[in-house]
Amino acid sequence: MSTSIVRTIKNIYKSGIRRALWQIQTHNDTKSGWLVGEDDYGNKYYETDNAEEIHLRTRWVEYNDRWTQIDISKVEPGWHYWLGYGTNTIPPNLTGDEKVTRAYPLPEKHKPNLTNTSGAFVTYNTAKPKHTAWEPKVSERV
Amino acid sequence: MYALSKRSLTNTVVKFQPIVSKQLGLISYNSQRYISSKDLTPKPLETDFPLMSQKTASSPIDYALTSLDSIANWARKSSFWPVTFGLACCAVEMMHVSTPRYDQDRLGIIFRASPRQSDIMIVAGTVTNKMAPALRQVYDQMPDPRWVISMGSCANGGGYYHYSYSVVRGCDRIVPVDVYVPGCPPTAEALMYGVFQLQKKMMKTRITRLWYRS
Repeated sequence: MSTSIVRTIKNIYKSGIRRALWQIQTHNDTKSGWLVGEDDYGNKYYETDNAEEIHLRTRWVEYNDRWTQIDISKVEPGWHYWLGYGTNTIPPNLTGDEKVTRAYPLPEKHKPNLTNTSGAFVTYNTAKPKHTAWEPKVSERV
Repeated sequence: MYALSKRSLTNTVVKFQPIVSKQLGLISYNSQRYISSKDLTPKPLETDFPLMSQKTASSPIDYALTSLDSIANWARKSSFWPVTFGLACCAVEMMHVSTPRYDQDRLGIIFRASPRQSDIMIVAGTVTNKMAPALRQVYDQMPDPRWVISMGSCANGGGYYHYSYSVVRGCDRIVPVDVYVPGCPPTAEALMYGVFQLQKKMMKTRITRLWYRS
């Protein structure tokens, strides 16, 4: 975040007051740029080439569920790689060899991290238990 | 002498075993599964009652208290002061979180040198048996409320040194852990994600349940 007030005012003017307030709430900054793409969930990815921006803070995501669920695990792997400046090609534009071939392919629908929710992973045993609980049975007296 | 004779006896038994077992049909490798897939699927248990954090506010007093809770929780998660328990290479990644690329200061995270001033302990690295009492003492010196992040395979469960004679198999044998960050070592980004998960956990805490329960 650069501290220039002129930049902040410019960005508020470009984004509109409502979006700028939301950006201050979630990003701690006002940002303006162009929409690069959107993933299957409707998360929107933005980029800017404004020289005032700090190095490596020119790409960001605005989540589909804008107020409550802020979680980087909602971002798909390809987009995450783009956000981290691993590549300049966005996932929909990948062609041929650029696409990753995995031995164990990812599920079609990207699954976010469900920790802290009821969908969280719980370990379970697949081996036969070595001990079984005693089930007391009272037989009728003759 | 005794050991020698015993060994030779075992050898003879081993030598004759295949013949005996082939004749009696003792070797039968059972390939069938004992448990059906239905039993392996996690089921809702009787003890799975909803947590206080999962309950929704119903009465006016609930709304007032949950608002007070969220103010207190917001203050707690916004002044996230960890005591640095850097033990191994994970500590280097922990340092990266404080450097400009990830810049923990913008999140209100400030490393404290004293456990008495900190809320969170980040156990970064291999906990050895020799270090274990010190770890527990540092934890005990922290004021309540306190949280622990276990960072890396070694702190989570011993990791690479799991079978070593001098390493604790997971720091959760010594202190209660809130968030486990996997990795060997986890990236700075992974540690930050762990921090965010802990902040979410903090925001879910219902503090006023100590005095009022609906």
